[in-house]
Amino acid sequence: MSPIFMTYGTMITPLGNSVEENFDAMLKEQSGVDFAENSGFNQENWPLGKINSLPAKNRYKELLQRTCKNLISSHGSELFSDENTLLIISSTKADIEALPKDTFASTRSILKEELSLKNKIVIISNACISGVIAINTAADYLQHSDFKKVVVIGIDALTDFIIYGFQSLFALSNEPSQPFDKNRKGICIGEAAGVVILSKEKINEQFHVEYLGGSSSNDANHISGPSRTGEGLFRSINLTMQRAKIKAAGIDFISAHGTGTNYNDEMESIAFDRSGLIATPLNSLKGYFGHTLGAAGLIEVIATMKMMENSTLLKSVGFKETGTTRAINVLRENKQQEVTTILKTASGFGGGNASLILKKCL
Amino acid sequence: MKLIGNCKISKDGVFLNGELKFTLSEETWKREIYTRLAIDYPKFHKMDALAKMAFLSVEILANSPNPYEYGDSEMALIFANSSSSQDTDLKYIHSYEVKGSPSPSLFVYTLPNILTGELAIRNKWYGENCFFIEEKFDAEFFLEQINFYFSKGAKACLCGWVNSFDGKEECFLFLIEKDTIDNTESLKEELTKLYNQ
Repeated sequence: MSPIFMTYGTMITPLGNSVEENFDAMLKEQSGVDFAENSGFNQENWPLGKINSLPAKNRYKELLQRTCKNLISSHGSELFSDENTLLIISSTKADIEALPKDTFASTRSILKEELSLKNKIVIISNACISGVIAINTAADYLQHSDFKKVVVIGIDALTDFIIYGFQSLFALSNEPSQPFDKNRKGICIGEAAGVVILSKEKINEQFHVEYLGGSSSNDANHISGPSRTGEGLFRSINLTMQRAKIKAAGIDFISAHGTGTNYNDEMESIAFDRSGLIATPLNSLKGYFGHTLGAAGLIEVIATMKMMENSTLLKSVGFKETGTTRAINVLRENKQQEVTTILKTASGFGGGNASLILKKCL
Repeated sequence: MKLIGNCKISKDGVFLNGELKFTLSEETWKREIYTRLAIDYPKFHKMDALAKMAFLSVEILANSPNPYEYGDSEMALIFANSSSSQDTDLKYIHSYEVKGSPSPSLFVYTLPNILTGELAIRNKWYGENCFFIEEKFDAEFFLEQINFYFSKGAKACLCGWVNSFDGKEECFLFLIEKDTIDNTESLKEELTKLYNQ
């Protein structure tokens, strides 16, 4: 198998409009989650990861357009208009405001227009694991097709639709989320876009990692609750380690999913313990951005790549005291440390779990 | 690649492996199939249209020779449609805009991949899953994905095109097993023909 490289494209969140702005804010331990007035169905002020500069209407389309403009200015237009480039998009709800018309139509038209794409767009909508699966699918295309570069965009915008939905499930936290903490109360929803580029050869002088392998697995247990035994996540982590030819001891760091709900975080701790990763340092980035659904996998992988580039482990914002039955190693402080090999995990509705392993290019 | 079986259902009727098995009466056609199959699975009644159609297709295909005889993680589920969960999305929006409060039972179905979760739960399938949004049924796209999953070690791929929007509901399910024969072109033609039956 020939190597697959990956670098970051752009990242738009409440913390910044570029990868650099975001990472600088994260180093300063800033959080993009803040109370949003009257955001709830009964006018509650839920804490949300809201990008305040986006307009009240058409947030998704505007966010996608900004993402494209950032990409053109940082990477030039040739990368996207190249006939050897494929684009994969990860989104759970896309342009939900378009209903009753097609919610994915504007995604295709904006991307085609802004990026002058030559090829079809592959769209993945697989709940909260969409981003990690999209990166895994990008690697599949590079291994087994003629494409030389695959751009992966993860994007979801805040909508009443999503906020009311999680509210109806009693899954929202009334305080900024605290993944893995004893006092965690639930999810804070956020919005973001993140882009990575996978390729058969490094595309520029920028920092690259090597993609070693990935997989997904279903819990076969419940459509909206995680497995009590972490079965699907455990299976996915093991399959990913097998494909990447990496053992648990070879993983330096885990970028966990960590939504901040009782059941999810508990499930992850069990799966990590079962996988021999109980002592491996980890964080959840949901404390910085909230849960950004289809964008989560992408922005978390980008932030983790920046951690690898800067040999700095970022703490898990909101975490103070162990709140899972398995005492996993959640980072309380930022830490200078060489990070060579990382595991990224995600879990979501529909019982889905996915993971991937990345290695720093030395 | 070996086509083990296929099933197409809509209000027009049930096709199993290219043969019309029975026709249906219009409105309650999914319920009608459920009754005819004599299944006792109360969760079925809570599912949205996408999950119901995928569930029924899997049950129908189970009646053809030797389906699903793989290890519990050896079969990948590759599903796609053109309208995501838009049908349920509209019903869920109606719950909070008109009926007074957001319905959690509708909200959980506002993701198209919930149907793969339902299939996994019913059949204890722990394998890989992916849900794509495509403009139209494209056999070539499915075969490309199947090839990826076979390369990664899957022994079989259960694939489905499941759409529900604007009153039009359909599900085309097919099961492909890995073998050494490269018949992508002929399979592409066969699947396109079966989808259009």
